[in-house]
Amino acid sequence: MSDLRLFPDDDDVTRGLRAIYAAPMGESYWNELQARVMARVADVELGWWTELDRWARPALAAAAVLLLSAGVAMFRAHQSEADIASDVMLSSPAVPVSTAIRPAYQDDQGARLRFLFGR
Amino acid sequence: MRVDTGHVSMTAATTIELPFGMSPGADAKPDERALVVAAQRGSNDAFAQLVRLHQRRAYAVCRAIVLTHEDAEDAVQEGFLHAFKALDRFLPDQPFGAWLYRIMANASLDLVRRRKVRDADELPEGVPMPFRDPGESDELRRRLNEALTKLTDRQRSVIVLHDVEGFTHGEIGEMLGIPEGTARSDLHHARASLRRILGDVRSDL
Repeated sequence: MSDLRLFPDDDDVTRGLRAIYAAPMGESYWNELQARVMARVADVELGWWTELDRWARPALAAAAVLLLSAGVAMFRAHQSEADIASDVMLSSPAVPVSTAIRPAYQDDQGARLRFLFGR
Repeated sequence: MRVDTGHVSMTAATTIELPFGMSPGADAKPDERALVVAAQRGSNDAFAQLVRLHQRRAYAVCRAIVLTHEDAEDAVQEGFLHAFKALDRFLPDQPFGAWLYRIMANASLDLVRRRKVRDADELPEGVPMPFRDPGESDELRRRLNEALTKLTDRQRSVIVLHDVEGFTHGEIGEMLGIPEGTARSDLHHARASLRRILGDVRSDL
């Protein structure tokens, strides 16, 4: 088969494509390419952003846990304050109810009466 | 920072070079999986072995998509770098090759897009040739080169990946992010275009 044929069939085309797209054959080429790839990998590893990237997810998770804990603590503190206030309101009053509800003028009137009849 | 854990068992099988165009066979898979796991644990030696195992096939994938050997080299390096960074997210139960070649295809497509933007800015009249060989005397190859520039990027990639590298329509579709049917239809149109263009060249002679 000659490459100068004017009617290339599919096999010729495939052979031509394989020739055009053939990868380099020399072993040294692949060794060098592998070395270049690994050199770039090493560059990536040395970058501070890699460390940052590696720690980003744990740091985010820790921050989320902290935020959640702080939220829960604040909620509990608030609830505890509300409970205390409620307890204070519902606890027994310091003065007797009868005293508390007796109008003040009765005291004055009684005192006056006790003063008059007592004499 | 990644630390060499020494988990890789450097058996003879891990260092076997596969012939160009061959995907890793069944015998290589257990070792490849061990290499992937070791690389995920931070072993650079293991990743270097994976590069050695896959670089020829990776080059072939990239070369099918970009226009020049130099661009294919760049895409291969970019692709391996992306793979290295994304290694933590790879599930070792999946086929590593398919995952890696998809990354290679994406790196190549990115490069083609960047080149297009750059060429549109700088060299609007330039039509790049897929292969530049000053000493080219092969008539069919020369005409084929011309014909390939007339195909769309995707048609060229599909015909090379299928006819030269032997990927299936499904694999090509997955790599290029198109449905299998589209890959099949692209291949059909690419072949028809090549026949027509080569026929036109013949009638011009």
